[in-house]
Amino acid sequence: MSGDTFTFLVGGKAGEGVKKAGGSAANLFASMGRGVFQYDDYPSLIRGGHNFVSVSTATRQITSQYARPDLIVALDARSCETHKGELADGGVAILNSDAVSNGDGVGIPITTEAKKYPNPGLRVGVAGPAALAAAVGLSRDEMEDLISREYKRDLENNIPFAASIYGAVREAIGDRFRLERGDRERPILTGNEAIALGAAAAGLDIYLAYPMSPASTILHFLAKHDRELGVTVMHPESEIAVANMAVGAAVAGARTMVGTSGGGFALMEEALSLAGMAEAPVLCVLASRPGPATGVPTYTEQGDLGFARHYGHGEFPRLVASPGTVGEAFTLAAELLSLVWRFQTPAVLLTERHLSESAMTVDLDVDAAAWAEPVVQDGGDAGGYLRYRDTADGVSPMLFPPSEELIKWTSYEHDETGITTEDGAAIVRMHDKRSRKREALLEHLKGARTVNRFGSGRTIIFTYGSTTMSVLEAVAAGGIDATVVQPVYLEPFPTWELAEYAGTRPIVVEQSAAGQFATLLAEKARVDASAVVKRYDGRPFDPLELAGAIRRAIR
Amino acid sequence: MPEDLVTYAENTWCPGCGNFAIMNAVKRAVGKLGERGVGRERIAITAGIGCHAKIFDYLNLSGLYSLHGRAMSCAQGMKLANPDLRIVSFCGDGDAFGEGLAHMMFAAKRNADITVIVHDNGVYALTTGQRAPTSARGFKGPSTPRGNTEDPFNPLVLMLEAGATFVARGYVGKLAELTELIVAAIEHEGFSFIDVLQPSVTFNDTFEEYNASVELLTETPATLDEALAAARRTDRKPAGIFYRIEKPSNERALYGDGNPVADHPARDERLAKVKAILGTA
Ligand SMILES: Cc1ncc(C[n+]2csc(CCOP(=O)(O)OP(=O)(O)O)c2C)c(N)n1
Ligand code: SF4
Ligand SMILES: [Mg+2]
Repeated sequence: MSGDTFTFLVGGKAGEGVKKAGGSAANLFASMGRGVFQYDDYPSLIRGGHNFVSVSTATRQITSQYARPDLIVALDARSCETHKGELADGGVAILNSDAVSNGDGVGIPITTEAKKYPNPGLRVGVAGPAALAAAVGLSRDEMEDLISREYKRDLENNIPFAASIYGAVREAIGDRFRLERGDRERPILTGNEAIALGAAAAGLDIYLAYPMSPASTILHFLAKHDRELGVTVMHPESEIAVANMAVGAAVAGARTMVGTSGGGFALMEEALSLAGMAEAPVLCVLASRPGPATGVPTYTEQGDLGFARHYGHGEFPRLVASPGTVGEAFTLAAELLSLVWRFQTPAVLLTERHLSESAMTVDLDVDAAAWAEPVVQDGGDAGGYLRYRDTADGVSPMLFPPSEELIKWTSYEHDETGITTEDGAAIVRMHDKRSRKREALLEHLKGARTVNRFGSGRTIIFTYGSTTMSVLEAVAAGGIDATVVQPVYLEPFPTWELAEYAGTRPIVVEQSAAGQFATLLAEKARVDASAVVKRYDGRPFDPLELAGAIRRAIR
Repeated sequence: MPEDLVTYAENTWCPGCGNFAIMNAVKRAVGKLGERGVGRERIAITAGIGCHAKIFDYLNLSGLYSLHGRAMSCAQGMKLANPDLRIVSFCGDGDAFGEGLAHMMFAAKRNADITVIVHDNGVYALTTGQRAPTSARGFKGPSTPRGNTEDPFNPLVLMLEAGATFVARGYVGKLAELTELIVAAIEHEGFSFIDVLQPSVTFNDTFEEYNASVELLTETPATLDEALAAARRTDRKPAGIFYRIEKPSNERALYGDGNPVADHPARDERLAKVKAILGTA
């Protein structure tokens, strides 16, 4: 085992139940009170191909998968080919001997065993948790409990199948990887689930989205739980429809969120600019995949930072922030929904596939989540309500129909009522109003937590978004004496928090080919990187490799 | 006619423009709906971008002046948020059948409970007279100086085929009938579509043609096929209600008698629900 961690990898063809097997392993570790990080790797196809799930665990909170597994269960030949060289020292590979003729490892005829029961193709995945249960020292009863909890259906076949795999593994390697229990059981969430629940905790009424990986699971999760949560979920004809419907829903008073990836976000931009002009509160989740264009749908990259920071045409207050961990995704989704309602301007929650679709154990303080509340009309405009009342902080009170008052929201430049204007002085007045709103937002952020710092070591490492998880794990695994600085807010960029680093030569870690984050730090905060550690092959960093790269950069 | 339905915005439509009649019909319709218990505070409007859309500034009704081609999407969002509102969306033929065609087809398909009034002048008026999706073959404009090389869409056929549950054609030269169409469309539960023949005196003056060819339907066709046949007529231009059926609206299908805005939860209530899901996650 690498240090204090244990990593389990199960691989097979799409459709063989690999994802379920990985999820079962994660649940097993979590039920032992351990920290868990689950990474699903799958290509953009439905059947065939090669899928694997890697689950790492420790008795502390763990924030990354590890590339070198201690235990591999390979259901097909390709999994064996791909992963056998990755095995950690002392690791064991369990191979489906029906698919792999002469691999190095413990051969078990998994397919032959599965064929003793109906639907063998669907059953092979059960071998994953069964083998794991044997290797980590679960008793036969505990193994049966695990399979019953995880698979629920068809137990009269799944249990004897699992028992045969369990028995064979026990015979071959005993309980070689006995694991300690951790302090307490925590829920496991993907980043997308955390975003969905965070927004719900802030009072989300409506979620609109057009399917696009890696944002789709927000749509699926909220659609599945819509009645339970009291959130209306709809999938319209395009991202253009999504974003415009969202503006409509917001001006009618609904707390509204939308979600997409880069291509869909490009289509939403015109409506986000409308939200900027109309001062309509809309929160958009942008979950990045490697681009440009269709790119690599089911993998990760941080190539949309510049795009996200500059969304929409024209000048209006933009708000962009990116969570560093799954737990922070929950808090930040709530906070951003609350901020768009407080300041009546669109916001983008920028994240990447690595956070969206990875799962980890979380400690959430649900009661501390922000709640979205509009600044409402207090009854006070002499001569009638003014949608765009020119206030000191630029924030005009809101009012929603039905109302006796006239409430005019508009995409044209306008007067205080919301009637179109082309008058020069009126144009200046509204630009200034929106600028004051930006100032007010900035003042608010100055009093809020906009940058996270972890540790207090000598080496300064800057990172952001999902890469934060990789860096934190690398620093822990590599025993690196570092301070990790993670700007959560990216627009407005919290330069006031970063002034102390001006002129320092930190290491920057990001998943972009161009090094957009390093450029942003240099331009906005006069922080020039001594080295930029990049990865842009669609895969998240491995903590041990990243620790090595950081150590080389320090020297 | 309720005079309080106009704002202080300066009207800049060309004298004689068909848009005036549409606005008059809307004002009358709102008055009539008021008498039937639908107060003007419950009516919200959206508009696209074009000459037609200026109606948004002129009418003393709440709503959202949206983007070119997106008025019907914004309208659907408003309805989804608060189904107690009656939403009327004013679109140009460019809005509805050019930039926003997909949204029109889907609004009809899903039977979104909104009313779309298309100011069909067969031209992009505000942008100085280019051909529109409803312009005739041969139409000359600044983008087609040698004449339009495409045949026009038939808006009624498109909407009938897409699943609209209320389809009508109005004419600005028949104000009383247009008013009744608007009242009926707003009262209809589900997607209501009125294609209003609206001559642009400046860029496509079709008054004479329509005065000669528009003929009121004596009754609503009984079947979809009959409605389609009437919509396809080229010898005359029938006006009136072509099709009206009852079918659950999209909003009702999604949440029954619910109302996302009115049912907005108290914070404690919502947090309890989030915690319940986390307990089982
Ligand atoms: C995205 C976008 N593209 C183009 C325009 C420019 N534009 C404004 S109105 C219009 C066409 C108007 O035609 P129509 O919808 O038929 O309205 P009309 O002026 O005829 O009433 C166009 C192309 C725009 N405002 N937005
Ligand atoms: S240009 Fe045509 S549509 Fe526009 S106001 Fe003048 S007559 Fe009416
Ligand atoms: Mg037109």
